[in-house]
Amino acid sequence: MLKCFGLSQSPAVDVDLFNSFISYGVLQKIKKMSDADLAYSSSFTVDSMKVIAESVGIGSLGDDAAKELADDVTYRLKVIVQDAMKFMHHSKRQKLSITDIDHALKVKNIEAQYGFIQPDSLPFRFASGGGRELHFIEEKEIDLSEILSAPPPKIPLDVSLRAHWLSVDGVQPTVPENPPPLSKESQKLESVDPITKLSKPATKDAVGKPVCGKAARLKASESVHVKQLATHELSVEQQLYYKEITEACVGSDEGRRAEALQSLACDPGLHEMLPRMCTFISEGVKVNVVQNNLALLIYLMRMVKAILDNQSLYLEKYLHEMIPSVSTCIVSRQLCVRPEVDNHWALRDFAARLMAQICKTFNTSTNNLQTRVTRLFAKALQCPSQTNNESGPSMVASMKESEKTPLASLYGAVQGLAELGPEVVKVFILPRVRWLGERVEGALSGIGGADRLAAGNLKHQLLKVLAPVVRQLRQPPDLPDDYKREYGYLGPSLQQMVSKQRTSPTGGSGGGAVAVVACTPPLLPAPAPAAAPAAHAKAVESVASRNVVITASPTPQSPAPSTPPPQKFVIVASQQKPQQTQPASGAGHIVVHTSQPTIVRSQNVQSMVVTSGPAGAQQPQKMVVVGVHPSHQGLQASSSVTGVSQAPVSVLAKSVFARSGSGPQPQPPPELDDLSHLA
Amino acid sequence: MGDKSTPLLAVLQLLRKYDLKGTEEILRKEANLGDAEYENLDLPEVELASILTAHHTESDPYSYEFAYDSLKKFVENSLDIYKYELSTFLYPVFVHMYLILILYDHNEHAKKFMEKFGPEQEDYYQEDLKRLAVVENKDQIKGNELAEVYNTNKFQVQLSRDASTQLKRYLHEQKSSPVIINIINNHIQIDIHDGPGRTQAQVKATVGGLLGEASRNDNRSKVFYGLLKEPDIQVLPAPIEDEDEADETPDKPKKKKAKKDNIFMKKPKSDPNAPPNDRIPLPELKETDKIEKGKALREASKRVQLGPDSLPSICFYTLLNSGQTAVCADICDDSTLLAVGFNNSSIKVWTLTTVRLRGMKSAEKLQDIDREAGDVLVRMMEEKDRDTCRTLFGHSGPVYKVAFDPFKTMLLSCSEDSTVRLWSLQCWTCLVVYRGHVWPVWDVRWSPYGYYFASGGHDHTARLWATDHHQPLRIFAGHHSDVDCIQFHPNSNYIATGSSDRTVRLWDCLTGTQVRIMTGHKSTPFALAFSACGRWLASGAGNGEIVVWDMSTGLPTATLPPMHSAPVHALAFSRDGTILSSGALDSTIKLWDFSLISDESSSEESGMTNVTQKEEKFLLRSFATKNSPIKNLHFTRRNLLLAVGSYEGSS
Repeated sequence: MLKCFGLSQSPAVDVDLFNSFISYGVLQKIKKMSDADLAYSSSFTVDSMKVIAESVGIGSLGDDAAKELADDVTYRLKVIVQDAMKFMHHSKRQKLSITDIDHALKVKNIEAQYGFIQPDSLPFRFASGGGRELHFIEEKEIDLSEILSAPPPKIPLDVSLRAHWLSVDGVQPTVPENPPPLSKESQKLESVDPITKLSKPATKDAVGKPVCGKAARLKASESVHVKQLATHELSVEQQLYYKEITEACVGSDEGRRAEALQSLACDPGLHEMLPRMCTFISEGVKVNVVQNNLALLIYLMRMVKAILDNQSLYLEKYLHEMIPSVSTCIVSRQLCVRPEVDNHWALRDFAARLMAQICKTFNTSTNNLQTRVTRLFAKALQCPSQTNNESGPSMVASMKESEKTPLASLYGAVQGLAELGPEVVKVFILPRVRWLGERVEGALSGIGGADRLAAGNLKHQLLKVLAPVVRQLRQPPDLPDDYKREYGYLGPSLQQMVSKQRTSPTGGSGGGAVAVVACTPPLLPAPAPAAAPAAHAKAVESVASRNVVITASPTPQSPAPSTPPPQKFVIVASQQKPQQTQPASGAGHIVVHTSQPTIVRSQNVQSMVVTSGPAGAQQPQKMVVVGVHPSHQGLQASSSVTGVSQAPVSVLAKSVFARSGSGPQPQPPPELDDLSHLA
Repeated sequence: MGDKSTPLLAVLQLLRKYDLKGTEEILRKEANLGDAEYENLDLPEVELASILTAHHTESDPYSYEFAYDSLKKFVENSLDIYKYELSTFLYPVFVHMYLILILYDHNEHAKKFMEKFGPEQEDYYQEDLKRLAVVENKDQIKGNELAEVYNTNKFQVQLSRDASTQLKRYLHEQKSSPVIINIINNHIQIDIHDGPGRTQAQVKATVGGLLGEASRNDNRSKVFYGLLKEPDIQVLPAPIEDEDEADETPDKPKKKKAKKDNIFMKKPKSDPNAPPNDRIPLPELKETDKIEKGKALREASKRVQLGPDSLPSICFYTLLNSGQTAVCADICDDSTLLAVGFNNSSIKVWTLTTVRLRGMKSAEKLQDIDREAGDVLVRMMEEKDRDTCRTLFGHSGPVYKVAFDPFKTMLLSCSEDSTVRLWSLQCWTCLVVYRGHVWPVWDVRWSPYGYYFASGGHDHTARLWATDHHQPLRIFAGHHSDVDCIQFHPNSNYIATGSSDRTVRLWDCLTGTQVRIMTGHKSTPFALAFSACGRWLASGAGNGEIVVWDMSTGLPTATLPPMHSAPVHALAFSRDGTILSSGALDSTIKLWDFSLISDESSSEESGMTNVTQKEEKFLLRSFATKNSPIKNLHFTRRNLLLAVGSYEGSS
């Protein structure tokens, strides 16, 4: 068909040459067709003809011959591609594929080009040199033996059929199979610039069409069905959904919770409920941190995770609620009732990973999210001297030994930084390792059981995080003395770890953070340890069953029984409880179960935090008073705190934090981990 | 043939063509031409024209640019009432000037000419211009499909009498440059109509065809677009209805009776537009077919009335894991089976109900069955088969269309391998391979009464077949490009075809002639659908536009705006004809208010085209899927819309 090929020596070469044209040219043409520009003439240059001729062994192709060839080949290829478009259309595709070219060749009675099957388009590479510019397709050499020895590729899944309702009586249901009612872009647009919503329908309909009266009528009829993004009212169904989801997420039924989380992670139509969900989470975290309710905190963090995983939500607007909640769960000084027993470390790890995910997803150059989060964690790691300089006078006053950043918070901060990557570890943790070592050393040699455990964990975590970084930083001779000099107390252990990693080729090749992630246990609330003797737990109930635990239990392993055991009381009060006559001002009635002197102050709020015990005691007794909705009458102290677990009521429990306006208190409540001391 | 004698031969051929025997004789003697050469006078039209015109000023490439410019100015400066009609001249003149320039080896000038004036041609011609611009020298003209079409056919232009007078006057003034006159004489057919010049909108509605507009004479013949009388309807439904009524509560049957009567009231009133029932022979209904018909009627009486306020529910069938391999889909009339044709030559049939797909028993076992038994049809099926999906192999190329017959016992498929295959849905094997098309077959459709089917393909023809003939009964030739889509008229007497030459044509199955040629599409139509009443034809095109045609006049009734951003490949009318649904590759389904479209056109009953500009009001609703291009749309007998698409991944 190409008569110009008479120029070359043998018919065999002709075929070769043509094959090359097809493989080179066709792909080039595909690129051009997709540009859809108005260029009527794009053609092969004489140079490309020469290069292609060289590639098939014709060294000296004359200029005239090359010109003839270039013209003819351009023509033939264009015709073939035009024919191929027909096959593309009839295959109901919008992207030209190589099989289309093959079919077009077949129609022209030319043998198809075998062996060019490629699922995606091949990228064109560019090279220049010797005054020539070349566009070419990279051809990789394939080792046949490798293919032969490789396990056979997976059999592709069989085609299957699935039915769903695209529309029910003209309204599209928001099921996962349907696209989200509002795309992420429009959610973003509306959150950034709500005015666009008013003008948008007009512009959308007016594209290329004059707006007329009838069109306006249509718009009016259509706009009824456009769901408003920023509705402040939820439909009854949505309210039910919200109630169901929040109850299931913090409820005791693990199966239901999994379903609820799955729904949160996949459902495309959640954006209307998002503000409420975020408030639910942030309020829930505030309340449960105060109550040290580990299980609920874990559930709430899993909700955060599910919402983050939902692809159809535009979350930027709600980060200001999410980030404080998550960071609270990372660095709060106490997250559980018995820090010695409960695995609050897993929660910190999980939340740290969430934080890293948030940073990765939402960090932009304008919000500087990662920088701010990093700074927050880094401040927690400040040495006392530095903290003094930077924080306000109130902090200076409270800089006593006992008021230092607790070890658990340090652990959280280290974990949070580690999740952000090895570079962050290098810059922010490594310089503080000496001071951290001192803290660990102090705590390990100290008396507090909880502290010892925390210090152990912190040390373990530090080593794990630092070892890969240090391994990268330092040259092989790892001398214990050098490490000791440089890293202080942790030096020798670090040296051991590093040298161990150096010897094992596979271990620790990646960043430290990765290793941490891998070893984190599945995040389920740890049931109350069976080993804890009942004698110590006055009214132990399963944490998982979200009952409030009233207990005054020293850890069984505590080495120093002489210290007064930390006691914790959670008092649940109801506003209308006439039979209880605890002296208190205002309407709040409070029941206190304690054998120790207790100061109870109650303002006209529904809840309060009370600390009691001898001044200067190392372990102040804590009492949390949570107000519940008036309808929950006759609650016993040991009954479950419905106000926390049930969604609508939890919002009422907000007043736990009304500390600033609620009159003078003897001491700042030590439980309030709102990170204000860190920021 | 010597170089010198070629022009002489051409002249001789011309003389013969115009039957000027005397002159021919003298010239022959004078030129001393041998008889052998004289006998072989058969120069192709292109060459003849090129030789004969070579002695004019055509050899001057600059005159073309000048002449076109001058024509353009003339059109621009003419009065508004002529302007739009005259502007349709520009494109054919431009095309032929380009071809002539190339014919005379002014390749560079041709290229420049294309670059200068090409972009200012109408949008819908750009695709053609791109294809034409590929031709860059004389040799390429011959093999090129498009250039051949332009050279061998006349471009149709419609002018009012006044406009043509204007044009004549202009051409008269331009005597010095005969270029345009030559082109108009040789390549353009002017169709003069009385009455005022058409407006811009009117012109725009019908232009766009590869070879211009349809001439008025093409659409003169009468088309029986009415529906056939249903003779069997009276006989059958009664017992079935009774059985139905037995189940119902006593007050309901009364209602039903009334409804049923309504259906019958309409039918006996003979439609003046309906063809006689025996115009083409229709197959006798078999006993099973009658049962099926009865079922259909019963279902139809439970149909939901649709309208702008009561939109249909849409059930969407998504093909998962199909990637880009699924090509086409069809759902059988009673909505129980779904067939999908694949890229890899296979066809899969799914059942959409709980009824499993059973095969027939083997021949030995069939012999044992008592043929007189009432349930013989049930007994002959294999009981062990419990498949929900069956695969049919046989084609050797992508399957471009599958179609269930009205009684869901057979399936037709057409493929790139240029064959049409008939499959049995009882044996699950191929029954017949229909060969006849030379190149890929793009579309195949059953007659609504079964037995007949039609196919159209890359060989520019559409063919009418009967299942028991291995050769086509009719070959409909006339399209200038691929026949991309085909559809039977509900009364089975006509076939509509859509082609890449951007025309939709209607063919009479009885005579094999073309009875309607409809221009106005600006892009290739890919989907056709007749309304339930048979008067309207909707066609969806590659640029997302949908045009509704009136079969009685062959004129576009409404051009729906291109709301779809990708080719429309599926169209379906609701069973009561009030809603038109369209599905496109942009993964959306749109619902159009068809009762409004048809009302509007009948209220403005007049000879002229009534193009509705405010088309926005026709669009009722649009439903998007998650990246699942729509392959097929189907209204069930109760007016539930079923759609099929293949999910192509999130991106």
